[in-house]
Amino acid sequence: MGIFKEKEGFTRRQFLKGSAILAVTVVVTGVFAKFGVDIYKASDDYIAERAQGLYTLDESMAIRRSHKNPEIAQIYQEFLSPGGVNPVSEKAHHLLHTRYGKDIPALIEELEHHDENHAA
Amino acid sequence: MSEVKGKVLKHDQQTRMMHWVHLVCFTILGLTGIAFYWDINIISNIFGGPANASLVHRWAGVLFAAGPAIYILLNFERFSKFIDTITNFTRNDIGWLKTMGGYVPFIKAEHIPPQDKYNAGQKILGGLIITGCLLIILTGFPMWLWRHTLPAVFLSACYSIHFWTALIMILLVGGHFFLAAIHPRSRVEFASMMMDGYVDAEFTAHHNESWFNELQKVE
Repeated sequence: MGIFKEKEGFTRRQFLKGSAILAVTVVVTGVFAKFGVDIYKASDDYIAERAQGLYTLDESMAIRRSHKNPEIAQIYQEFLSPGGVNPVSEKAHHLLHTRYGKDIPALIEELEHHDENHAA
Repeated sequence: MSEVKGKVLKHDQQTRMMHWVHLVCFTILGLTGIAFYWDINIISNIFGGPANASLVHRWAGVLFAAGPAIYILLNFERFSKFIDTITNFTRNDIGWLKTMGGYVPFIKAEHIPPQDKYNAGQKILGGLIITGCLLIILTGFPMWLWRHTLPAVFLSACYSIHFWTALIMILLVGGHFFLAAIHPRSRVEFASMMMDGYVDAEFTAHHNESWFNELQKVE
């Protein structure tokens, strides 16, 4: 019974093709990475410009802090925490600290019970 | 040619080892990927739940990339020969494609031209697998390592490319498995790649005549 094998060594054409595939892999990886870096930079630049825009808008506002807003203070004094400005009052907690997604039905139920308890 | 006796060493030890590593990694990657893409808990529970399946997917991905990379570095000669073979399309390959090697029932295949170490179908598969692996590896790592810093549009493109490439690869590998392990005309190839690396000389002389004529008898 004979055993057959490939001849040892490789030709110049085989070497060049193997090298070319590796080179193409490196180039494709590089182009892909460059693409990613460019998008990252563009996104970063956009975020910086957007932030600057928001800061510029903010600077032009007459009232720049919510706790210095007389209307907010009035809402607290007259409704959310009668007699004073108390941001963590029970009513403020229940009305302003809201929930989202799957918690909404539970929140509605809690608010309804809260109203019932207060009505009683 | 049909009376040739003996064995042909088609795949050496390191090639078989690399193929095994890739096979195991690909299976794990495919299963975990399907599990958490379609939220199939039966599969992800095999790996200890969705979170662990995700972790296994990432580290299997590292092996999936490192396996061939190490193989190429240690076996550049063999890799170059492989690339040369799968990129070398001759009239014989065109002839094989016209008859689909006799594998498709409704295509007449009275004469199938002599083939290289890999037939035309295997050559195309090799090219697609290499391209697919590269795309999957290139898009996979940003999704893992830089998901908090990269813009959503880039990550979204990575997810789409990763998913569709993986889906095509799973179909290709399924076809590859069928022809290499189940189809009665070619299933002897399975033992060659998965076990000792040898194929019957008679089979090789018939299926890979061009390549067989270039081999040397060592014993």
